Amino acid sequence: MTHGGSGRRTVGVEGLSRVEGEGSLRIEIRDGSVTDVALSIFEPPRYFEAMLVGRRHTEAPDITARICGICPVAYQMSACAAMEDAGGVEVGPAIGDLRRLLYCGEWIQSHALHVTLLHAPDFLGCADAVELAERDRPSVERGLRLKQAGNLLMQTVGGRAVHPVNVRVGGFYRAPEPSVVAGLAETLRVAVDDALATVAWVSGFDFPDIEGAYRFVSLREPGRYPVGAGRVVSSDGLDVTPAGFAELVVEEQVARSTALHATLGGHDAYLTGPLARYSLNSASLPEVARQAAASAGLGATCTNPFRSIVVRSVEMVFACVEALRLIEAYEPPSPPSAAVPGVAGTGVGATEAPRGLLLHRYTLDGEGIIRHAQIVPPTSQNQATIESDLRRVAQDSLALDDQALTWRCEQAVRNHDPCISCAAHFLDVTVDR
Amino acid sequence: MSSPSTRPHTVVVAGFGSEFRRDDGVGLVVAGRVADTMPDTFDVGPVVDPLDLLGRWDGADLAVVVDAVRSGADPGTVRLVELAGPPSAGDGDGAVGGHPGGATSSHGIGLTGVLRLSRALERQPRRVVVVGVEGHDFGDGTGLSAPVAEAVPGAVALVARIILEARGCA
Repeated sequence: MTHGGSGRRTVGVEGLSRVEGEGSLRIEIRDGSVTDVALSIFEPPRYFEAMLVGRRHTEAPDITARICGICPVAYQMSACAAMEDAGGVEVGPAIGDLRRLLYCGEWIQSHALHVTLLHAPDFLGCADAVELAERDRPSVERGLRLKQAGNLLMQTVGGRAVHPVNVRVGGFYRAPEPSVVAGLAETLRVAVDDALATVAWVSGFDFPDIEGAYRFVSLREPGRYPVGAGRVVSSDGLDVTPAGFAELVVEEQVARSTALHATLGGHDAYLTGPLARYSLNSASLPEVARQAAASAGLGATCTNPFRSIVVRSVEMVFACVEALRLIEAYEPPSPPSAAVPGVAGTGVGATEAPRGLLLHRYTLDGEGIIRHAQIVPPTSQNQATIESDLRRVAQDSLALDDQALTWRCEQAVRNHDPCISCAAHFLDVTVDR
Repeated sequence: MSSPSTRPHTVVVAGFGSEFRRDDGVGLVVAGRVADTMPDTFDVGPVVDPLDLLGRWDGADLAVVVDAVRSGADPGTVRLVELAGPPSAGDGDGAVGGHPGGATSSHGIGLTGVLRLSRALERQPRRVVVVGVEGHDFGDGTGLSAPVAEAVPGAVALVARIILEARGCA
């Protein structure tokens, strides 16, 4: 919606669609300049951190998985990593590989959903995925095939596609049989081709010529693209352990939002997610994904937020190729989990959820009971940067009429695939000019 | 689990909801009991994300979706809604896109959104029936409230009657 007067224009979206959760966006424009941008999140706060206090350390993966139906694996993996950090336990490579395979499934299903059904309609002038399906059925069919491939991976390794039940602190309750895992290979071979076709499809979209000056933050794993482990690095030289990163993150309440805003040191906004992961780790992508990125016109880094759909698609190629590699090399971990004692102390875990870095920190007592829990989801970390993006995108797009400007602003939010449900442990758009 | 499209006459029963939000789990209970007593029925539940119906209900002759509802009726009231035509965008389930008007999520595409998408992809079931059971307690925890638990046999019988009628057995 738009309200206007002399020199005054307001663009508002009261219920932002195609993002996860509920929120609104209000942009004020005075005399040709954007004067205020407010991304408000009004989904009810979910109090998960408080709910965790008093529970056993082994319960955190299953409880936190319920925060989100799109990225439950991320919550499980960060919770496990934190508890294992607290207990001083390192799981073996076989458990690590099986976790990475499960996580690939979540990346594939989440990215396929966002790229095809939620984001692509923006670029093609379609109101929604249904209109897109009516105009370009093969592309939507391909996206759904990819999503199903991801779901199948999650179901096979995690026990079910939503809120997996096979994950425990230390590893898994049961390792899938090799023959069952081998049975995934053909689906993943098709998925690799589908992901490559998706990269070619989205690279042909029209992208606004808008670049962001981002402070990128992501994990970095030695020799491979980061998923479930590693140090936290940034585009301006940060290189710390997850525990060291947790010390730097400052979360603040903002009156308009039930999500906390996270900054580094209380003042520096930053961005996590596909753009950050890619820009900080593109050299670690497998060759086929790097070639796909190059063919799509991506350099070693990407700072055009609208091209995030291309980056996300390249990450799908990575996840499919990586999953296939892990399937072909699969050996069941024995035992399927490591014992992780609940001991007094603090543990920190950081893994890469599809939409960005997910940090968990827990303090346990001597009985392994959680006494303090902190969960910093990607959208909380990205919210300040999304607002900066909106300010720049709105300023660069003022020549658009109100309807087109509102569309562009919504698209700018969807560039970052925010998961408001996660952040609120909430979206509407208003442009005022 | 084989695709329903490979079966000669297929009935899909899908229970929606979460067993961890008390009465929200009634759809899972009803669908499960129907599947237990009618072996030829293709149970695709539990369904947390309606989008997962794609590929599971494709081309079915009949799809019965069972879910808890909250309409203000007496707890345990059982309602039947025939989804005869494709809803238009923005009619309360625009989570597939456009302005949502009541959608609670975007990453979760609602039932009517999935039905619209199924039609666009020519995968829609021939007939979709929604059986809703009025819930009372949607708080955290497992187990149904007394009035909703008492409504389960009636809801199971209603779903069974719909299936038998569709098969020409009643």
